[in-house]
Amino acid sequence: MRPLIQQRKYFYVFSGVLVFMSITALSLWGLKLGIDFRGGTLLEVSWGEEDVLDQSVIEKTLSDVPGVSSLVIQPSGERNVLIRYASSDEGINEAVLSELRKQDPAVELVRSEFVGPSVSDGIKKNAIVALFLAVAGIILYIAWAFRGISRPVSSWHYGVQATIALAHDIVITLGVFSFLGRFYDVEVGASFIAALLTILGYSVNDTIVVYDRIRENLIRSDGKEDFESVANVSLNQTLARSFNTSFTVIIVLIAISVLGGESIRSFSIALLVGVTAGTYSSIYIATALLVTGNVFRERREARLASISENNGKHPPKRSRKLKNRGDSSGIQGTSSGSVDDIVKSASVSPSLSEKKYPAQNHASGSSERTRKKKRSRRRH
Amino acid sequence: MNTKRWMWSRIFGVIFLAMVSILIAYPQFVSSVPWIGSAISSLRANLGLDLQGGIHLEYRVDTSKIPEEKRGEALQAALSVVERRVNAFGVGEPLVQLSRSGSEDRVIVELPGVKDVDEAKKMLKETPYLEFQEDNSEVVEKSLDVLNDASKKQASEMLSRAKSGEDFAELAKKYSKDPGSADKGGDLDFAKQGKFVKEFDDVVFNSDFTGGTVWPDLVESSFGWHIIKKTDERGDGDVREVRVSHILFPKQTIDFLPESERFKSTGLSGKNLKDAFVDYGGGAGIGLPQVSLRFDDEGARLFADITKRNIGKRIAILIDGDIVSAPTVEAEIPNGQAVITGDYTLKEAKSLVARLNEGALPAPITLIGQQTISASLGEESLKQSLSAGVVGVLAVIVFVILYYRFLGFIASVALLLYTGLLFALFKLSSLTPFPITLSLSGIAGFILSIGMAVDANILIFERTWEEVRNGKGLRRAVDEGFRRAWPSIRDGNYSTILTCLILMWLGTGFVKGFALILLLGVLFSLFTAIVLTRALLDITLGEWAEKNLFLLVPKRKRPDTQIL
Repeated sequence: MRPLIQQRKYFYVFSGVLVFMSITALSLWGLKLGIDFRGGTLLEVSWGEEDVLDQSVIEKTLSDVPGVSSLVIQPSGERNVLIRYASSDEGINEAVLSELRKQDPAVELVRSEFVGPSVSDGIKKNAIVALFLAVAGIILYIAWAFRGISRPVSSWHYGVQATIALAHDIVITLGVFSFLGRFYDVEVGASFIAALLTILGYSVNDTIVVYDRIRENLIRSDGKEDFESVANVSLNQTLARSFNTSFTVIIVLIAISVLGGESIRSFSIALLVGVTAGTYSSIYIATALLVTGNVFRERREARLASISENNGKHPPKRSRKLKNRGDSSGIQGTSSGSVDDIVKSASVSPSLSEKKYPAQNHASGSSERTRKKKRSRRRH
Repeated sequence: MNTKRWMWSRIFGVIFLAMVSILIAYPQFVSSVPWIGSAISSLRANLGLDLQGGIHLEYRVDTSKIPEEKRGEALQAALSVVERRVNAFGVGEPLVQLSRSGSEDRVIVELPGVKDVDEAKKMLKETPYLEFQEDNSEVVEKSLDVLNDASKKQASEMLSRAKSGEDFAELAKKYSKDPGSADKGGDLDFAKQGKFVKEFDDVVFNSDFTGGTVWPDLVESSFGWHIIKKTDERGDGDVREVRVSHILFPKQTIDFLPESERFKSTGLSGKNLKDAFVDYGGGAGIGLPQVSLRFDDEGARLFADITKRNIGKRIAILIDGDIVSAPTVEAEIPNGQAVITGDYTLKEAKSLVARLNEGALPAPITLIGQQTISASLGEESLKQSLSAGVVGVLAVIVFVILYYRFLGFIASVALLLYTGLLFALFKLSSLTPFPITLSLSGIAGFILSIGMAVDANILIFERTWEEVRNGKGLRRAVDEGFRRAWPSIRDGNYSTILTCLILMWLGTGFVKGFALILLLGVLFSLFTAIVLTRALLDITLGEWAEKNLFLLVPKRKRPDTQIL
């Protein structure tokens, strides 16, 4: 068994570096928005037998055409040239083409795309709505899927941590495309958003598989093992299938990226980057996040416990001990009233001294309830 | 007993499904069988524009001038007009549909295989706006009379000023409306008799007109009112030439107006025309070709009103503002039918009918989006994406067989059946009213779904191995594998289905095609990966498997190795 969870800080560092680089790239260069979002025209023309004109010559020729602005010229393949410009009127395309044919009568239009401003506005709006819906839907879905478990990590935690892992995948994909846009003129359009959503939908699968296994093992272990080792066992048990399922998808995505042709290359590369990041994050990050979240929670509860023990004085560094390796006996193991009482009263108001605390009865009543809850959970 | 029958029925089910989908997806196998072969190979998957080349056009329909309650009707009318025009284009399988984006109504036109974008756009966009107008001459004449009276009054005033000795050239420069002479002080140069319009000529060459004087009266010609001053004269008899200057105050008559200005709108337009056809008038014998029109109910009512108040007058039929015909109304026409008699040849009549039937758009349309893909690019995309698919499938198969051995082989068979099934579905859907269009993005979704299709199998097999390792017999382990992997499979696919639905709802074109195929792929692959694999395993697993466990389960996964 590999101590994947125990080694989480290395993966955190690795991911942290990637995310930092991605965010830096995004803030430096942003994304190169395609005509789907900006509106405008894209022409791809192929040259005849003669030599393809020099880029600067084409640029010079076309910049004189009235109505053409923010012209970008980019070679594509051997004889093809991509020409992009902002235009609100597609009538300009004819003028551009005839201008090119003056240079070489064999010029042929391979494809053209014109997106008017109202269309691009709609695409932009829909892209935002779609992303929002997808993220919200997935969080709700995970929370729903894990509604059954709440010990020791509550179900909404699974949703939040899975979402953080997803954000990690998305940010890295965005970062890669920011880089590609800056250095290879790769533009992002509506298809990129589709790729992002697909990544969201797919990456969460692997995460769910691991979380599912954690749920199963938690029920089986019946609270005898600490969360961290349960998580690690679950992760190891699902490692092969997480890897293999993603691997088959990555195989086909590599096939499309390499062989699928220019028209869908950036789309399939987006999927490839996102799914790869998603595989990595669901194996190395998502579960680790759950454990880290749990450790934080335990540490907090332990600190609160020590606050009460010390009669409201600030706690000594003692709580540090508790965090180690998920040693949570103080929280999970016992059902002694004292711990529960302390946790309860402290969570109401840590600054209140015991003397001033008005309803000790109430506190013990709630501890009774907590204990009952625990028992019922164990029966799961 | 029952389980045995159940098993056999499943075997037959699988074989039947396999046969059907393979036949439909790959008809090459039976191409030699006479009628089955040709019937099946005539089934074609509906390819998108990006795979066969063509034009995608998106128009905004401006319905802002149409009252709210009639918009739906107008949109439908616009759609059918565009459809008629597209059909006239004669392309393979054109697509014309309405779509609504935000508050904007759009018409989407897809013309597969069409190369000439501009020709296509012209066909669609040049809106022949059909309109019926009624004679407005009286009103126009009245308004012209008012204008002319003013002009004449001004002329008289100017005449008295000219006679009183003001500089004629200056006045001409300032007031003359004759564009040819005003700048030259009204000078018309030497001219022989007969050069000018009669009324003007008569005065100029009148022997009483002495040089250097202004003619005492206004001279009225068809151009308007002239003030004339004779400046010079030379020659005699036949070669006599006179030089005059003039100041013109124009008069407008209805004859000079373009014909279209003599008519006014009636509110009857192309949207009220049901159809037009050629027939032959003239009672007995063969008459001249004429054009018959039929209106819808509203049109019939309007037309009855119009004809009633215009008996004896002309009604103009305009297309794009040009009068194509202006027949005279002989009687009120209450039945919503009209005939345009005219000097038509059969060919002219037919072309007019064609143009009328093309009709007019009830609302103007503007191009807001366009996409063209050349046929060669489409072909290349199709080839490349299919080869990517083949390589992807093979790579996945090699991987699962190497890793999962016999189980992987079964999964591969299920995977091949899955691709066959999906292709068969694409092809069969072309027979239904809801054909699935396979676009480039759809193929991408399809290939991606191949990678995802085996996911379910992998989950099941991993689980099966685990059960074997925990000491269960092979049969039990397989059963458990399917049962216990199911929640994970289900949960994992929900999210993909969710994102596909969102994309289908909010996406357009590329995105929609991708999402639809991916969704279908996920659903179908659930079926093949679970039901089909299960059936195949039930059929094939037997005693041999227990004896040759290494073919199914690697050593490290078996319970006996755990001890070592």
